[in-house]
Amino acid sequence: MSDKKKSFKNSRIYVVMFALGTALVFGVLITSAATMLKERQLENMALDKKTNLLEAAGLVPEDKKTTPEEIKQIYDTHIREVHVDSRGRVIENPTGSSLQLYLIHTDQKVQGYIVPISTRGLWGKIHGYMAFEQDGETVAGFSIYSHSETPGLGGEIESNWFLENFEGKKILNANNQLVSVGIAKGKVENLPDKLQDHYVDGISGATLTGRYLSEGLEETLTKYEPVSIIFRQKEESQAHVETILDE
Amino acid sequence: MQTDLSHYKEILIKGIWRENPVAYQVLGICSALAVTVKMSTAVVMSIALTLVAAFSSLIISSLRRWIPSNIRIIVELTVIASLVIITDQILKAFLYDISKQLSIFVGLIITNCIILGRAEAFAMANNPADSFVDGVANGLGYSMILLAVAFLRELLGSGQFFGFPVIPGFLYDMGFQDMGIMVLAPGAFFIIGLLVWLKNSLPGISHEKK
Repeated sequence: MSDKKKSFKNSRIYVVMFALGTALVFGVLITSAATMLKERQLENMALDKKTNLLEAAGLVPEDKKTTPEEIKQIYDTHIREVHVDSRGRVIENPTGSSLQLYLIHTDQKVQGYIVPISTRGLWGKIHGYMAFEQDGETVAGFSIYSHSETPGLGGEIESNWFLENFEGKKILNANNQLVSVGIAKGKVENLPDKLQDHYVDGISGATLTGRYLSEGLEETLTKYEPVSIIFRQKEESQAHVETILDE
Repeated sequence: MQTDLSHYKEILIKGIWRENPVAYQVLGICSALAVTVKMSTAVVMSIALTLVAAFSSLIISSLRRWIPSNIRIIVELTVIASLVIITDQILKAFLYDISKQLSIFVGLIITNCIILGRAEAFAMANNPADSFVDGVANGLGYSMILLAVAFLRELLGSGQFFGFPVIPGFLYDMGFQDMGIMVLAPGAFFIIGLLVWLKNSLPGISHEKK
């Protein structure tokens, strides 16, 4: 206790003041960094979302790198966000129970639609988009933009080989009943013939991720079934949705 | 001047090689398991950790005379956590894709024992310049092991290097298969264990003889 400075350094008042001072300085530092970078981050997130929608729709050119401007331009000409009620009819203003989806269109013609997928995974939520052709039953593409699965195992769900698996799968069985698309255990070719259209190759070491994703897909697609039904009734749906595009 | 330089060189060699944080002190193993499946994530993780180690050591060493000893760990963690959050924010703003892949691991730098270990063992007792060099040295030492592990795991586990396939097709035709275990955590354990063994069996640096 002879060292005066040392005892002052551990006095209650000094410790409290020092802690407050440190908290203040670093609080300001973090806040200013977060605020200054926020705009860029939001821009990145918006761009990432658009890129993923376009990837699901198969509209991103694969052979070359796309610039942010190109993504925005393709998005603006081909994608339209709409809300529908529980019967699958497009409504102007979103309500609590309305569903959100994206229409893919070229020259005022609807080519298909994209359903946002949000399901639980092994460690956290899995978010993605699933695009359908205009027949309302064939998967046109699938993309995942956020997940927290184990890298190298469940994390493989974002790899191209897995996502490309989904292209061309049917969500209806031979009796026109909704069966969704499931993730098989192992390879699809080992399944009975009549199931092959409704399953994709699984990821070894990621059985649970696959199971949760299958469940989530089925749940979401059941919710969006009214929309798909409208698309399956060909002409009527075309006329109906195209009126919205005329605006 | 000459003595100064050789002094820094000494700190660097000690951090990078002689007392390598992973291979000698066996610290920071958790993230060395998690981010070493691919080279690209390992590289960004290495850079982020080296920067955080260097600057947290610098700041803590500059403050060391004023930090009350009974809350020093909390203060050290505040400095480290702030730097990590800022790094994470910068990655999200400028390297969005990679920050998405690293996800929680950047945040986990806060709990990396190397950083707190260096702050506690070195920065609290040495001047800011030395501490900065020590932070860089330990960051590089960690990076070296991380990159070696990631190289082997990506090569053996997925047959790739930075995402490009490098194993020639005829090897696969002859029956070569990617080693699935390399992608899993045990693969990293084996490789890190072998590296520790290798480092400590090289002549002249075994810590058992010291």
